[in-house]
Amino acid sequence: MREILQWTTLIVCAAATAARIPSALRGTNRSLFFIFLLATAAGVLSLDVFYLPIDRALGGINLASFLLRLIVFAAIYLVAYRVSRAFGARDAYALISGRIGLSVLGLFSAALVTLFLLMDFSASSAGLADTGGRSQRNAALLPYYWATARGYPTYISLALLPSLVRTLGSRLPALVRAGAGLMAAGAVATTAGFLLEFAAPAFALERLVVNNAAVLFFVSGLIMVWLARVRAKGTGGLGTSSTDR
Amino acid sequence: MPLPAKAFQRWLHGIAPDTSTADVCRLAGIKRTTLAQQLVRGKVAEATVVSISRAFNANPVSSLAYFETYRDLAGPQVPPTSHELVSQIATMDLLRAVIARSAPAAESGAESRGVAGVAGTPAPEHPAPGGQPALSPAPHATSVKNWVDAIDDGELRHRVSAATGIAPQNYSAQLTANRMAPEVAIATSRAAGVGLTGGLVATGLVTEAEAGWEPGARQAALDMLSDADLTVLAGDRLQSLGKTLRRQEQDHQQAEKIWENLG
Repeated sequence: MREILQWTTLIVCAAATAARIPSALRGTNRSLFFIFLLATAAGVLSLDVFYLPIDRALGGINLASFLLRLIVFAAIYLVAYRVSRAFGARDAYALISGRIGLSVLGLFSAALVTLFLLMDFSASSAGLADTGGRSQRNAALLPYYWATARGYPTYISLALLPSLVRTLGSRLPALVRAGAGLMAAGAVATTAGFLLEFAAPAFALERLVVNNAAVLFFVSGLIMVWLARVRAKGTGGLGTSSTDR
Repeated sequence: MPLPAKAFQRWLHGIAPDTSTADVCRLAGIKRTTLAQQLVRGKVAEATVVSISRAFNANPVSSLAYFETYRDLAGPQVPPTSHELVSQIATMDLLRAVIARSAPAAESGAESRGVAGVAGTPAPEHPAPGGQPALSPAPHATSVKNWVDAIDDGELRHRVSAATGIAPQNYSAQLTANRMAPEVAIATSRAAGVGLTGGLVATGLVTEAEAGWEPGARQAALDMLSDADLTVLAGDRLQSLGKTLRRQEQDHQQAEKIWENLG
């Protein structure tokens, strides 16, 4: 179950990345390609099969886990940056990439680095599953590490959610609204994942489902908006043909 | 509510007894799958009856009258009011009329009159000048909304809503989209106390001629408008057209911004 979920997420992200290669080569909206690429990288690092060898190559101190967290930060930041601009959401825009937004990103990143350095990671363990038991200090610090790791995506999701919901009820093409709806679901799932982390530490599988769903929702939402553009350009633009109405 | 399939079959048998369904579709220009689907669901669209009627040289309005819902369409109809007639003239035709009326004044030069008349000069009734281009046939891009506005006494929407059970905001949305179900069009006519075919023409289900409107009736109604009435009407139409265009441009800009960032 666990493996199937993670592989599905990885395959979807990888397929999206591959599909964006032509556009990236043409130079249209490369950031979308990078978003999918980062999501793919995150998917790779979430799987034991890849995590363990990669981490061993990096010194076997769970640096890969730290790297994964930073990749997630970068991916969610890029998504939010693009989405807030696309939907003209000034409120979200300030909270994400304005002075406040960048300060928040800086704070979370600094906290993540600090917590990582304070903990003792001397054996590779995907998802830091075994780390808590290694020492009392680790056990005490680990919840803070997760709070930080999941906190930034949650912050971004909450900042983005109002503009996504607004778009859902707008007059934009149906595919765009569907995309916004999927991303809103992704934002909700991200927040739910954060809450599950603390409210129900025992539900590891549920947490995994929710977190994978969040990634899938965001990625499919972006794909949906992209399809909307393909469709709009295919039928000769939007609304320009009916000036008489 | 569209027409029941059983009644439709009976009607079709009456109008085209020896024609196969395939031929009916071919002659009427309807997709066979479309008709089959409507029959399976037991609900045949009014437009289907209209298309078939035309193919078999029957009057679509009389054909609709065969069905229970549209029984009142049988027999002679109340002719459209002049407001209804004018509402079915396209905005661009109204503007053309404005220009046509002011043109003779501009030509005479010495004295500016007509639509651009100076205050104090009585606005003369201009007959339609010869060689004026014919009005484009109804319906036009905002004909449904203009028609309802033309027959609305201020309470019409409430009465239609009460009679049909359609929420006022849904009714307004239909008007904005220039759409209205034939049944609702009839209910609207009834609630306004005007002839029953007006809405069918405004929605484009039937033509003016099929509805029994006199040829040239719209032109005559237009010619009867005073310069002031015509100008105000054209101004109102232009204003709402401007609003629609503004909204479209905003939507377009918004979409462009999305493609730019996420396309």
